[in-house]
Amino acid sequence: MYSMAQATLDFLNANPILLALVKILIVFAVLSGIVAYLVYMERKVLAFMQARLGPMRVGPWGLLQPVADGIKLLLKEDIIPGGADKFVFLLAPAISVAAAFTVFAVIPFAGNFFISDINIGLLFILGVSSLGIYGIILGGWSSNSHYPLLGALRSSAQLVSYEVAAGMALVGVLLISNSLSMVEIVQVQQKMGVWNVFLQPVAFLIYLIAAVAETNRNPFDLPEAESELTAGFHTEYSGFRFALYFLAEYTNMVVVSCIAVTLFLGGWLRPFPNVHALDFLRFAPVAASLGAAAFILWLGLKSPVTAERYFFAGLSLVCLIVAGVVAIPAVLDAIQGLFWFTAKVVGFLYAFIWYRATFPRYRYDQLMNVGWRWMIPLALANMIVTAIVSYFVRIRPHAAVTAWLGW
Amino acid sequence: MDLIKGLRVTFSYQRPSATYTEQYPLERPPVAERYRGAPRLNNNPETGETLCIACNLCSLACPENLIVVGFERTQDRKKKLTTFTYDLSRCMFCGLCEDACPVDALELTQDFEIAHYSRDGMVWDRQALEEGPRPVRFTR
Amino acid sequence: MPEATFLDSSELVLNMGPQHPATHGVLRVKLKLDGERVLGSECIIGYLHRGVEKIAENRTYQQFAPYVDRMDYVAAVTNGMGYVEAVEKLLGVEVPPRAQYTRMTLAELQRIASHLVWLGTHALDLGAMTPVFYTFREREEVLKIFEKYCGARLTTHAFRIGGLQYDLYDGFEGDVLKFCDYFESRVDEYEQLLTKNRIWINRTKGVGVLSAEDAVALGVTGPVLRGSGVKWDIRKVQPYEAYDKVEFEVPIGQNGDTYDRYLVRIQEMRQSVRICRQCIERLEPGPIFGKVGKVIKPPVGEVYHSIEAPKGELGYFVVSDGSTNPYRVRVRPPSFVNLQALDKMVRGHLVADVVAIIGTIDIVLGEVDR
Repeated sequence: MYSMAQATLDFLNANPILLALVKILIVFAVLSGIVAYLVYMERKVLAFMQARLGPMRVGPWGLLQPVADGIKLLLKEDIIPGGADKFVFLLAPAISVAAAFTVFAVIPFAGNFFISDINIGLLFILGVSSLGIYGIILGGWSSNSHYPLLGALRSSAQLVSYEVAAGMALVGVLLISNSLSMVEIVQVQQKMGVWNVFLQPVAFLIYLIAAVAETNRNPFDLPEAESELTAGFHTEYSGFRFALYFLAEYTNMVVVSCIAVTLFLGGWLRPFPNVHALDFLRFAPVAASLGAAAFILWLGLKSPVTAERYFFAGLSLVCLIVAGVVAIPAVLDAIQGLFWFTAKVVGFLYAFIWYRATFPRYRYDQLMNVGWRWMIPLALANMIVTAIVSYFVRIRPHAAVTAWLGW
Repeated sequence: MDLIKGLRVTFSYQRPSATYTEQYPLERPPVAERYRGAPRLNNNPETGETLCIACNLCSLACPENLIVVGFERTQDRKKKLTTFTYDLSRCMFCGLCEDACPVDALELTQDFEIAHYSRDGMVWDRQALEEGPRPVRFTR
Repeated sequence: MPEATFLDSSELVLNMGPQHPATHGVLRVKLKLDGERVLGSECIIGYLHRGVEKIAENRTYQQFAPYVDRMDYVAAVTNGMGYVEAVEKLLGVEVPPRAQYTRMTLAELQRIASHLVWLGTHALDLGAMTPVFYTFREREEVLKIFEKYCGARLTTHAFRIGGLQYDLYDGFEGDVLKFCDYFESRVDEYEQLLTKNRIWINRTKGVGVLSAEDAVALGVTGPVLRGSGVKWDIRKVQPYEAYDKVEFEVPIGQNGDTYDRYLVRIQEMRQSVRICRQCIERLEPGPIFGKVGKVIKPPVGEVYHSIEAPKGELGYFVVSDGSTNPYRVRVRPPSFVNLQALDKMVRGHLVADVVAIIGTIDIVLGEVDR
């Protein structure tokens, strides 16, 4: 069994193209599942914050809700408006989804698990995510109706403005890490022993707000809010095309969270990676699985339906087995990076949902006000200050910071 | 910052004790005693005969005129109830008929699950009214 | 002349149709736009007209009472109170004090419930999707009290001409006091979520300004009038029931914008709690029905009686010709008159603000159209 695994790995390492294809398949499959269940998680978390329960009917505790939604959207009638430009109409959601998924090619999920590590990773990400805006504009334009067009124009103007702010915030990180490659940025954080968020707090805040605006989420979701006049660029889309736009939006959320985690929160590093006193944090995956098992058991035992109780007990048992498997040192070491990365991304996504539950919506002109009058000057100032500081420490910030921190 | 205060409020709501939902078919809502739901014609518990004296006060009180009381005179010139029709599709459940009845024969019960598949099913005759509410039990 | 398209900067007429998630019912608003700015508006109503006033002519006075609840369906108890008091004024009937205090308690609870609906839907229109769930949960408690008292939550038919049909159930005082106690902390929570929130302030300050002169000239009443700075509350100016015997304050705003109206309504909720507590204290055992016969035939005459409903001044003009049916019942709905101020308030704002302004006037189409 072990030798068979070894043989497969050797074979894959020998054919790099095949290896890349396998990685792409894995990432794509896992990501699609994650995005589908992100929708579920959003509905549940939003519901709990609003003192209600969320989906409960479809499957135990509503777990099959994304499946039901997917099937429903697939089976819906595909309506194409009469005067619409057919080719562009069909192409626009595909552009959005493709741009959203392509960014995952350069994001490092763990120290040794990434599809590719090009040395202009950050530039690639900024470029491709800007391409996603085409999907919105083309979608609104090809619908041949003025409400979607107005919505698309507003949405793209908002996205472009906040892209500028986000890009400028990321330049601060660039100045510290001296490299555009995503893997190297995390490695620099490891060498410095401190996450970039502590060195660049202003940039982190700016990027956070710009990220919320980039993905058209509350409080910046005027272009797609139902209670406003222009119903948004995806009015004329139905069925699976609408699902594609929906998918693109949630994938964008995940992308933006992954970028923020990699650049600011240390990617796959655990908190305080160089401090040996905190080495017991290695066991965090085991603790997390045990915690999940206990939580699922507690939740499940409260259900009045017997079948559900058995299901949850089974699920809890699976979590226990996972905890056991993860406790094996070889597996624990292999899974460390992935675990911390996932934990941080989930934290970010939770923050997105939290903002949606709490804040009212900005009006469009106030939104652009915030973007152009506050975010961009602040990002510029941050850039200048970082440049000056890093010049004075002779472009070897990690050594100077380590010396200053006394490690 | 003011925004953080708002975030704290929503975060604190995630404890399960704050959830206010009742999952309907499994948990029925507790209904008050005076709830004005489906009507019922009461019978005398000992003799089993109807309490209604066919005085027609409920039908006169109703704003929608949807009660039709049929009666016949017995030998000693007393009224006896024969038919009693109540049209639920127009009923406002205002309770004026229940207030008007002098002998507490007509009563609005706590039954609120009176949906029916056809409009004719909403017109209840005397037998349906005397049987009282027949809620359909749903399973999961 | 070039064909006018939507991209021209000439005037554009936009129709916010009767079916719209944010117009609180079937209201149709035609907006004249110049780009994004609103130049003027026109409201087209009547989509919910049910002929309530005509129905009144064919029913007896007691039979008409349930219909009155259905006009402002969010605040049914105060509707009933206004009608019943108007007929009592016509009859010259004195209502016993126990009935008066009970009516006041229920009316203030209804005011709280109505303002909760307003708060939830207004916040939802502006994008904050959580307060609506919290406010409706509070409203559940109020509706449960109504259900235990009179048997229905929304179309309560709580009062009868001359007094009350039902005496208080056991535990009424306990329920109301318990509600008052935890409601204050809940209002604090809503304020924490919204009042100092910079996004909320950005969306509501300076939006929909109505000056005091305009407000009085247009005849608006209720929180819209008080938000513009005019201290006019019918409970203080022409007290009915026993409002002159309880202490409460009337909050007023300064600028007449949406934010002030929001603050006024939040303060009104707190004052209502205060009134409820005082009324519960003053409840004493006694009769609940005045001297009214089974058949009501008021003397020939007419009466206009108005009360302070949650939305404004709700007035009833009842004309009697001596028979059991009223000759004419004319309702002065507060939402109908307040809606006239929409045109004044909306000029010069962006389209996105129109939704906020419609929300802040607090209209219920059932009342506007009857």
